[in-house]
Amino acid sequence: MKNQNILKRLVSNQLFIPLIALILLAVINLVNDPGFFKITLGTNNAGNPVLSGYLITILDYGSELGILAIGMTLVTAASGGQDISVGATIAIAGSAMLRVLCGGNSRPETIQAPIIVAFLVACVVGMLCGAFNGILVAVFKIQPMIATLILFTAGRSIAAWINNNELPIVPDPKFSYFGGFIPGIPIPTTVFIVIGCIIIIALVLKFTNLGLYTQAVGINESSARLNGINPTAIKVLSFVILGLCVAVAALIKVSRLSTINYSVVAKDIEMDAILAVALGGNALSGGKFNMWASILGAYVIQFLTTTLYKFNVQSDALAAYKAVVVILLVVFSAPTVREYFRNMVKKLAPARKEAA
Amino acid sequence: MKKNASFAMIMLLLLALFVGCGSTALKNKTNNDDGNPQEEDSIITVGFSQLGAESDWRNANTRSMQASFAADDNYALLYKNGQQKQTNQITAIRMFIQQGVDYIVLAPVTESGWDSVLGEARDAGIPVILVDRRVDVTDKNLYSCWVGSDFELEGKKMAAWIKSYTESIGMVPEDLHIVNIQGTIGSTAQIGRTRGLANAARENGWDLMEEITGDFTETKGREVMAALLKRFDNINIVYCENDNEAMGAIDAIEAAGLKAGPNIKNGDIMVVSFDGVNIEALEYAKQGKISCIAECNPMHGPRVKALIDTLVSGQTPDKFNYVDEKVFSSISRVKKIQVDGVTYDIDLLED
Amino acid sequence: MKKQNEKTSIFNRLSDTNLLLTITIVIFFLMYLGAIIFQGGGFTKPQMLFNILNSNAALIITSCGLSIVMITGGIDISVGGVVALVSMCCAVYLDYHDGSILGSILIALGIGLLYGLVQGFLVAVLDIQPFIVSLAGMFFARGMTTIVNTAPFNVEDPEFTALKDTRIIIPGMGSYTRKGIYVPAYVEIGVIVALIIVILLFMVLRFTKLGRSFYAVGGNKQSALMLGINVRRTKFLSHLICSVLAGIAGYVYFLHVGSGSASHAMGMEMNAIASSIIGGTMLTGGVGNIIGTLFGVMSLCTIQAIVSSAGLDDAWWTGITIAAMLCIFLLIQSVVMAQKKKK
Repeated sequence: MKNQNILKRLVSNQLFIPLIALILLAVINLVNDPGFFKITLGTNNAGNPVLSGYLITILDYGSELGILAIGMTLVTAASGGQDISVGATIAIAGSAMLRVLCGGNSRPETIQAPIIVAFLVACVVGMLCGAFNGILVAVFKIQPMIATLILFTAGRSIAAWINNNELPIVPDPKFSYFGGFIPGIPIPTTVFIVIGCIIIIALVLKFTNLGLYTQAVGINESSARLNGINPTAIKVLSFVILGLCVAVAALIKVSRLSTINYSVVAKDIEMDAILAVALGGNALSGGKFNMWASILGAYVIQFLTTTLYKFNVQSDALAAYKAVVVILLVVFSAPTVREYFRNMVKKLAPARKEAA
Repeated sequence: MKKNASFAMIMLLLLALFVGCGSTALKNKTNNDDGNPQEEDSIITVGFSQLGAESDWRNANTRSMQASFAADDNYALLYKNGQQKQTNQITAIRMFIQQGVDYIVLAPVTESGWDSVLGEARDAGIPVILVDRRVDVTDKNLYSCWVGSDFELEGKKMAAWIKSYTESIGMVPEDLHIVNIQGTIGSTAQIGRTRGLANAARENGWDLMEEITGDFTETKGREVMAALLKRFDNINIVYCENDNEAMGAIDAIEAAGLKAGPNIKNGDIMVVSFDGVNIEALEYAKQGKISCIAECNPMHGPRVKALIDTLVSGQTPDKFNYVDEKVFSSISRVKKIQVDGVTYDIDLLED
Repeated sequence: MKKQNEKTSIFNRLSDTNLLLTITIVIFFLMYLGAIIFQGGGFTKPQMLFNILNSNAALIITSCGLSIVMITGGIDISVGGVVALVSMCCAVYLDYHDGSILGSILIALGIGLLYGLVQGFLVAVLDIQPFIVSLAGMFFARGMTTIVNTAPFNVEDPEFTALKDTRIIIPGMGSYTRKGIYVPAYVEIGVIVALIIVILLFMVLRFTKLGRSFYAVGGNKQSALMLGINVRRTKFLSHLICSVLAGIAGYVYFLHVGSGSASHAMGMEMNAIASSIIGGTMLTGGVGNIIGTLFGVMSLCTIQAIVSSAGLDDAWWTGITIAAMLCIFLLIQSVVMAQKKKK
């Protein structure tokens, strides 16, 4: 009886679905090629020690998604909708960062401003974009997906306009540390950035009412208002936080290449970020959320992507396999399907008793 | 009163939109005097449908066209970016026809599928000049002439260079394990350069392990190279069909802890590429990361303008016009190469 | 003052749908007029308008399907992917398998139907959010397209190219070029298909019980249930219609471009959503009109044509102008809805 309870609690936990998916993927890889889990310590061309291996790749390339999942979860919970402009705003924030770093010159000899200044500018730009979306959603009561469609359409154009449609290259090798390795540390820098973000959001959720208020607004706006919460402010705030996450993701993205390609940078990342939230078992219609499940969801997606690459799936065809996995996951986590299975189990259980 | 206010607000927004459109249109007045009958006869309008802005080569090509026509007051150039899609280019040509341009310059994204739209241009009496890639049409008279590079010759030059270089360091042909990161499948450059390598590999007995597209982009080049490095452990020559792919491939090689360079006997992976437009790629070539670059000259503008001048004066220009192209390398071992009986000098890049 | 009153009363009498529709149509005509006045040249010729129709017939069809889903309060972002998948499958079938025209049309309809059945089932029966379902649908279609064939290619089948180049000449609308050559005006078959679909859907939404139940479900699920409308069935049908239309749009698109490519119809779903919104459909459901959608598409495409003919680098400027237009329309909708609530 006790066992059953534990099982029930486990199954109903939000972390259950992403965890099961993660374990499943791990088992598939283990059966296919145990070498998947091998991590080797080598040196890169600059002679610095680096860890390499598929697991490291997942941790490294899943970073942007993990960071975006934080903001996307808050936006989803507060507004009951999703922001589809994150890819485009990454382009804007990244472009602004490059503009500051390169000072409008596409091939500068040295960087024109400290990296921190450029990053802060990117943060401000990201937050402004977030605020724009947030105001459309909260003040003008436009559905989030549609409101963010505006920046989705214009974002990449604005990004190109910021740099006069040129593709500046950052000359300073230090800038590439953020998306690569710091000399002497074999773990990808992005991992530290994600850990930093997670610690910050954990502290914020623990010591402020942000989580509670966000859920209250998402569950019932008018009763939240009656309880003295300002739903407009909370919604705008959630979009601004997402804007901040976008700026961090932009830093990583731009740093990886030391440049930017407006039309393809972070393409389709918004879809992956939304999937991460959905995989984490969070209702896309808002309300209660579990931040950790979303972040785990993000890494599940990256795990899946890397696994598919391992199986020599072409990058263009990747989407089809992803879609199948997503549909299966979503179908099995759908309330109606769960209800159906519960009934099935109930029906089967007495039958078994009789048989015994 | 509130209703009035909202009505006024909507009208204001309408006005704003209208004015917004108007100002866009007004701006156009200065660079396209199409609607103005007095100036119509003196200015020759040229519609230029460029296929996209996918690489530095393409951007240099666009700039060259724009610069050559901007320099002459008798011409107005209407530039259209096709964003890598034939549909967009066909739409652009139809738009040029409606706007009544005098000449159409087309840099086609693919070879096939141009019959009907070029037929429309001919029916409207507008001559078409092709740039860079060619088109595969049943009636060659659908375009007046073509300007571009001999891509197969570029491929042959590169193969000849690889042959003389590897022979000079004493490698046997069977030890050359080559992968070809191709351009956008179906483009003239891809077809010519792929053919140049494939024929040479067959003739010389090289091990051409894989041909896979990198779409002429850095991102795709990196991705493809990373995958190839995981699949094969004996690659020693990477043949990239443009510089952007080469830079992506070098990134992937370095990320895998290997070295891109000409010392293939000591475990380097030799990268060769085409175009030679990108400053960074030339820098790579100086450092030896890219061992050899076969130039693909993007400066078509002056040539196209000269051809149009010929057409304006009523003469018939040559149907096919090739631009001159060089071979760059920082390795001094190979001084000259021979292709089809013609000798080409190697331009030595030095720091 | 009296005049003012009259104006407001007209304003009052218009329902939400009609008000938004009127705004769209007025803006479209103002825009076109503006283009003729300021840009002249091409825009004075009827063929410019027909060219816009020719290139965007498929967008009109997908937008109509999307409007229906949006009226019932759902969303479908898989349409662009379906269009690409259909054109690739038909292209491969015609060129590599020596297929017939009829067979390719059946393939197009079949893909649309299959998509509609699966997505409709997931959304209506299993109650999964339409956004996630169609997101996966989009991924699947895009991925499948490259699995079917990676490289883009043009169809050479002679029967098909003949059909592709079939033109319906519109008498009296042609124009003379500067060299004095007469060029007749024409539309492609796809435009006729699109217009028939617009008219059919307009009739369905206006005069049938099914049409009214779409509005009822989107407006208020509870009251729709009380009225005895089968909400599940209605939602299912809306997705089915949308996907089948996407299949048809895929064929129309294929007929226009004559090639299969994984990058076909990139972003078409977003353009379709934008068109529907500009055409006065509200994403919250219950409000919308097919005629509005038609004008929404036309406004969107006219803006593109204006930007394009102005010689601006269209890749960047279209994005910005469309976004600005979308922004304005959304604000108008928001203001209208706020006014209505206050009443």
